[in-house]
Amino acid sequence: MKPFDIVIVGGGGAGLYAAMEAMKTNPSLNIAVLSKVYPNRSHTSAAQGGANAALANKAKDDTVELHIFDTIKGSDYLADQDAVEVLCSEAPKIIRELDNMGTPWSRMDDNTIAQRPFGGAGRPRCCYCADKTGHTILQTLYEQCLKKGVQFFNEYFALSLSVNGSRMRGLLALNIKTGKVEAFASKTVIFATGGYAKMYWNRSSNAAGNTGDGQAIAYRAGIPLKDMEFVQFHPTGLRKSGLLVTEGARGEGGYLVNRDGERFMARYAKEKMELGPRDLVARSLETEILEGRGFDSPAGKYIHLDLTHLGADLIKSRLPQIREMSMQFEGVDPIEEPIPVRPTAHYSMGGIDTDNFGRTVMGGVYAAGECGCVSVHGANRLGGNSLLDILVFGRIAGRTAAEEVGKFAPGIIPESEIAEKAEELRSFMKPSGHYERYGALREELGQTLAMNVGIFREAPLLRKGIDDIAALRERYQHVRVFDTSDVYNTNLIQVLELKNMLDLAETVAAGAYAREESRGSHTRVDFPVRDDEKWHRHTVATLENGKVALGEKPVTMGRYELQERTY
Amino acid sequence: MTVTEPHIEEAKKDITFRVFRFNPQIDSKPYYDDYTIQVERGITVLRSLNYIKEHLDATVSFRAFCQAGICGSCAMRVNGLSKLACTTQVWEVLEKCREPNVIKVEPLRNLPLVKDLIVDMDPLVDKMKHYSNWVESTMPEEKMGKKEFLISEEEFLKYDKATDCILCASCVSECSILRANSEYVSPAVLLKSYRMNSDSRDAIHDVRLAELVKDHGVWDCTHCYRCQETCVKSIPIMDAIHGIREDAIERRGMKDTSGSKHAEAFMSDIEKKGKLVEATLPIRTNGMAWTLKNLLPMAMKMIVKRRTPPPPPLVKPTKGIRVFRSMFREMSEHVREDHKSHNK
Ligand SMILES: Cc1cc2nc3c(=O)[nH]c(=O)nc-3n(C[C@H](O)[C@H](O)[C@H](O)COP(=O)(O)OP(=O)(O)OC[C@H]3O[C@@H](n4cnc5c(N)ncnc54)[C@H](O)[C@@H]3O)c2cc1C
Ligand code: SF4
Ligand code: SF4
Ligand code: FES
Repeated sequence: MKPFDIVIVGGGGAGLYAAMEAMKTNPSLNIAVLSKVYPNRSHTSAAQGGANAALANKAKDDTVELHIFDTIKGSDYLADQDAVEVLCSEAPKIIRELDNMGTPWSRMDDNTIAQRPFGGAGRPRCCYCADKTGHTILQTLYEQCLKKGVQFFNEYFALSLSVNGSRMRGLLALNIKTGKVEAFASKTVIFATGGYAKMYWNRSSNAAGNTGDGQAIAYRAGIPLKDMEFVQFHPTGLRKSGLLVTEGARGEGGYLVNRDGERFMARYAKEKMELGPRDLVARSLETEILEGRGFDSPAGKYIHLDLTHLGADLIKSRLPQIREMSMQFEGVDPIEEPIPVRPTAHYSMGGIDTDNFGRTVMGGVYAAGECGCVSVHGANRLGGNSLLDILVFGRIAGRTAAEEVGKFAPGIIPESEIAEKAEELRSFMKPSGHYERYGALREELGQTLAMNVGIFREAPLLRKGIDDIAALRERYQHVRVFDTSDVYNTNLIQVLELKNMLDLAETVAAGAYAREESRGSHTRVDFPVRDDEKWHRHTVATLENGKVALGEKPVTMGRYELQERTY
Repeated sequence: MTVTEPHIEEAKKDITFRVFRFNPQIDSKPYYDDYTIQVERGITVLRSLNYIKEHLDATVSFRAFCQAGICGSCAMRVNGLSKLACTTQVWEVLEKCREPNVIKVEPLRNLPLVKDLIVDMDPLVDKMKHYSNWVESTMPEEKMGKKEFLISEEEFLKYDKATDCILCASCVSECSILRANSEYVSPAVLLKSYRMNSDSRDAIHDVRLAELVKDHGVWDCTHCYRCQETCVKSIPIMDAIHGIREDAIERRGMKDTSGSKHAEAFMSDIEKKGKLVEATLPIRTNGMAWTLKNLLPMAMKMIVKRRTPPPPPLVKPTKGIRVFRSMFREMSEHVREDHKSHNK
């Protein structure tokens, strides 16, 4: 294969926008987009709510300034204020650009793009297309990339960066359809592989492939990860799968009920009840379950989200999606029975440490989207801000790489490196006396994370979590791939994804253990208050001698002083 | 103490999944493997397959990603019908088992087989490219990002449903024409083409249409409704197909399509809207073949004469259209059967 100028890993919103922008910046460049699933399957399609931008179509007095403030406050003051400024001031432009290229949007009476209110925002500024905003944005970007002739390498699984000393020379990837390891020599690489919240497995709303591959690859190549301990939990995931039941169910008047038939939110948020802020409701549900007031089932403990009192008509007309979901995934019709729910890991705030241009510490390596951490979300992301993040910073990373590509010499990846990698993959398939099963390890990882590095964290639990993860990493040495075929070996892919989750889990737990305060999504029972003196800073995790080493980085401040975060 | 809901505990069954197997590296032809597992109420086909892969046989290969019915990865045939494995409840397909409690799981049809339940999606992507399934914006690139287009909710609603498509290819798998002609445009691509053609921001409507009326295009569809009945997102695909046809007749006249194809269009309009009901009489009395042969010239004239045909939404379906449609389909089915026995 001819060496590339830019290799983009990931075909979600961030990767596709990066590809388009890089082509636009310099049409003569040789650009590849690798994706382990067809780009239109990427998890961006799951976003229902919408994307924030101060278009002021709905609230005429909305401004970029207000959006900036909401985002910084929402982040519990851990976001870098210069980055947030970029995010929010680019927002109106990027939404209009999407509109100009053909993204469908719901419309207001005056034919402008419709906007709705969203949690944590002082104005209704969330632009949406019914309940399928991520899907329609991703479709549009994919269509536009097809139009522009972007070179796609679909169903390629990125394995590792090829680095010589400190010089990056490209990427190794597995061609899933043939089982061959292929080298992508390139001057630059952009990671856009999405989030890592799937490490909580069936306690996560994420797609099966949101396993943090890009972060893990970068981390193993010596690139630091930032703020990994911040994982956002959503209060209502389905019991069996962790899939999301959106806030709409509570918005329309649904009750959260424990085993004693009690609407327990009265004890946590007397006035707002079920409509309290996301993190508070999530913590309340979890408390009920931990204190034994949940229901039990073979698929785990849960709480009832009861809609039965709303009546068939309202459920059918206003909440058809939610009804369909709970019938499809739980076999429960909410008109007749309550929906079994529990909190679910939803979004990863942490990721590959980048500057405002998507650059990492390694020359020629960039990151954007949920896999990067600029940081614009700090300790807690606002709904509707992450679609925005992937678009704005996907574009910036694409442009920056295209502009800087001349600084890097074309790399050559030696054949021996490819052969070694292929051998490494084969070694999983060798029969041996003692072996470990992939499914068991993955299940245990999800469980220990949910129990010990979940919504409520405290030193003894975290230490247990850290030990469990270490033990699982040890057992992973013996994991066995039973499918020995080359063509479409999904068993092998799962095992490789598990390795990425295990590596990242270690950084999440280490960060959570070190951060002795409560901020945003990170709740330490033993350190219940925010400690700005000691912890108003980012954590940075680097791999040193096979172990995670934690460092720190200051938060970039700006116009907004630290304040208590109250709503 | 644990509280378990009794009905969930009770609702457990031993189910056999009869899975289509084919590994191109070893197998000269496909075969089936049986896996019997205990399944409780509320479990989907995908979760069952995951369980089989993790506990019984790690080599069983299939695609899945979102597990929430939104990414389109996991389409496969369950008891003979194409659907998403992740949104299909095991309980709900039990009624359709030929052998009690044996569920057959097979790959989609009409796309090249890769391995087990996995088919190659590239032909579909190639068709999307061939039929320009994108908006070519009327706004030049350098002007983008400054102002939104003003678009009415009414226009949005025209293509709203079509943009639900998740490219799962279930409809492709069930399309009767694709079985005979792999070059046929495909229902999902027709749907997407229609969506693009109804977008006022798009500048290449006529180019797309010119491609759609060529061989293997929109006129090849037999309006068998299989795609629409299959669609996992309940998208009225036939509206899109009829929309493109009406558009083609309106904009391009008769110049580039053969008469028999127009006859089909004519018949399908009748079926869809229930207008020109007088035409049903000859069909009923003389059968489809006779009607086609004898009434075709008149049908053509009528289409030509409609110099300013009303836009599609204004041609309201006539009352009793359901009954009429099913009658029509039944008749078509008879004619097809007739054809088959003739050809034997
Ligand atoms: C249920 C749900 C609802 C949400 N709702 C909203 C919302 O309303 N508003 C909002 O702003 N945000 C929402 N989010 C968050 C938002 O959807 C995501 O943060 C965002 O879409 C991530 O986009 P991305 O481009 O970074 O990554 P993704 O879309 O996840 O794409 C990752 C890409 O990387 C590829 N990839 C990964 N690993 C590899 C590898 N090893 N080799 C090759 N390719 C690889 C994948 O194939 C994929 O193409 C929601 C998230 C979830 C889970
Ligand atoms: S109606 Fe047309 S496109 Fe749909 S399945 Fe039948 S032949 Fe195929
Ligand atoms: S039209 Fe329906 S069945 Fe066909 S690909 Fe789209 S969503 Fe799937
Ligand atoms: S796994 Fe995504 S649609 Fe089924």
